[in-house]
Amino acid sequence: MAEAYRFQGVGRDLQKDLLGQWYQRLENAPRTGTPVAYLFISGNIGELLRSFGFELVFPEVNALQCGVKKVAGDFILKAEDLGYSSDVCGYVKNDIGLAASGNRGPFGTLPKPDLLVCTYSGCNTYIKWFEALAELYGARLFMLDVPYRRTGEQELQQDRDYVVAQLEQLAEVCAELTGRPYNPDHLSELLENSRQAEELWVNILHSARHRPSPFDAYFEAVFFMAPIYVLRGMPECVEYYRAAAQEIEERITHRLGPVSEERFRIVLEGPPPWPHFRTFWELFKRWGVCCVASTYSKVGGIWDFGFRHDPSRPLESLAEYAMNCYTNWGWQLRRRMMERYVKDYQADALVIHSVKSCRSFSVGQADVREYFTKECDLPTLFVESDLADPRYFAEAQIRNRIDAFFEALEHRRVAGPHPGRA
Amino acid sequence: MLAAGVDVGSTTTKAALIDENKRVVALALVDTGANVVRAAERALHTALTQAKVEEWDVAYTVGTGYGRYRVPFGDLQVTEISCHAKGANFIFPATRTILDMGGQDTKAIRVGPDAEVKDFCMNDKCAAGTGRFLEAAAEVLGLKLEELGEVSARAKKSLKITNVCTVFVEQEIVMHLARGCPVEEILAGLHWTIAGRSIGLLRRVGLESEITFTGGVARNSGVVRALSERLGARLNVAPESQHIGAIGAALFAWERAAHGAVSQRNNQSRALGPVPGGN
Repeated sequence: MAEAYRFQGVGRDLQKDLLGQWYQRLENAPRTGTPVAYLFISGNIGELLRSFGFELVFPEVNALQCGVKKVAGDFILKAEDLGYSSDVCGYVKNDIGLAASGNRGPFGTLPKPDLLVCTYSGCNTYIKWFEALAELYGARLFMLDVPYRRTGEQELQQDRDYVVAQLEQLAEVCAELTGRPYNPDHLSELLENSRQAEELWVNILHSARHRPSPFDAYFEAVFFMAPIYVLRGMPECVEYYRAAAQEIEERITHRLGPVSEERFRIVLEGPPPWPHFRTFWELFKRWGVCCVASTYSKVGGIWDFGFRHDPSRPLESLAEYAMNCYTNWGWQLRRRMMERYVKDYQADALVIHSVKSCRSFSVGQADVREYFTKECDLPTLFVESDLADPRYFAEAQIRNRIDAFFEALEHRRVAGPHPGRA
Repeated sequence: MLAAGVDVGSTTTKAALIDENKRVVALALVDTGANVVRAAERALHTALTQAKVEEWDVAYTVGTGYGRYRVPFGDLQVTEISCHAKGANFIFPATRTILDMGGQDTKAIRVGPDAEVKDFCMNDKCAAGTGRFLEAAAEVLGLKLEELGEVSARAKKSLKITNVCTVFVEQEIVMHLARGCPVEEILAGLHWTIAGRSIGLLRRVGLESEITFTGGVARNSGVVRALSERLGARLNVAPESQHIGAIGAALFAWERAAHGAVSQRNNQSRALGPVPGGN
């Protein structure tokens, strides 16, 4: 029996090890003289920076780590002491509080940046965030302006050219800072690693089409997706997804899944409330809920509709990738994506977790709820707290809404099949 | 056979008893206070005394409301959203939309013909425009809660109240009082504001006739009047509007008992639905 389940837990354990090693390298960077670049997860062009030997820091990942380890509240208060308003993004305040505390968090001490690359311009707060960091560290700031995708199946050629031209400029900045010339062959090698990891990751995401799903595409995906966001391009990232895919294969063989009995399949929109991650998950688990597809696992990149990094067109494919992360899509495209998830993954409902301190992404969610409830007759639940600020999480209220929602779903099931859907 | 429902709300705790013919035989209401368990017990015992029966005459008990997990004798917990749907449908069978305004919560619920919840929306993490808002206003105006409707009926016009925040509305009322505005006009303005906020919630779930108004605030004729006027529609308001959740809970208990469920009193109670082993 032990032999039969030899891959169980590999995905989580290996991910923890890899992230631990990465944070260790970051801590050692000042000593080893390794250049350090800060950038955002959404549409990050990390491979280009890695090809110049940069170690990468992702402030959002640090913020979520602080949230999970329950220290975000202190950092947020510190930022508020400095004058940041209570309405400012929880991630930003966490990061500013962290920087003002010697950059020492639960993951160790972070190095100062040699270069700040604002890789995501879809959120104006993010731009201000990196401007604040540039001032704080006196580091060089490169603003990568990625055009927002409002409509249409394909990004525009002129938009792609515009991003490629900026990436060429960025390569010059990197060469200047590191003293290394731009090496497209090395970049292509890294992108080949990215491509392989993406292929494996997509297979894991698609595995949730099984009944029962072997994998929770939200509560588990947040662990499984970490390597493809922070270590993409590196050989260990490919190795990781090979091992994780084996774990999922084994689960399918043995009909194992994240819940003991899958009773409801949901699509989830919005990031998790990190300081209350476990509690939030439990509120769904107790109803036998499995998330079969989520949009949050696509904020760093959408691969499940076919995109792969292309080593033969390095800068072009980096540009296409940056334009097509979930957060860079307008609501029409996002809504279409959720509709497709509901259909492809045979979901019973849509759940939206809205973020109080993030108006730029939360603002269209009420319309999404209305669309799915009224136009598609799909049960849709809207709950709100925050991704980093523990003060916004009201367990009694969230629990009440989740319980009422699944009570009603259960009632529908007893009363008969859902009209309009098989 | 009797079935009981206990609705432990943030301000008051309600109990309802129904007999085998689904007739409501007793209704009780007590202040929740700090001890939720005690409040649940007091409410049930008040109802039992009213009906002149003993605890063992009750075949099954369902707990609802925020304190539902603390009802020690509850066999099952059901959210107040489902219970209000059930209770409103029982009293007004043509109900399709419910507005429930309690102490700290305002809920809009859209229901189907057999009381199934189709959609619901609740106020945000803020008691703006709930019963607590009216309590705060009554206190500043030196009135009792039950006087609000009657006093506001005397208003010739209603003042424009811009605040819906329970805390800041007090300052606005004081400002109007200082200007010499009549109390009834201030009150009429408050009712108009509170109604507007609730209609926003109702529209989010989709307004369908008939509309049933439940919860403690439904006893305030001023709010009922303002809502009817703003909606241009008549609202169903039952004399037992405050007990609709408890009645709904008792109906769930009745169904369970009718299907042969045995009370697990003194054993650990569990929630409707969640996988056994969950809490």
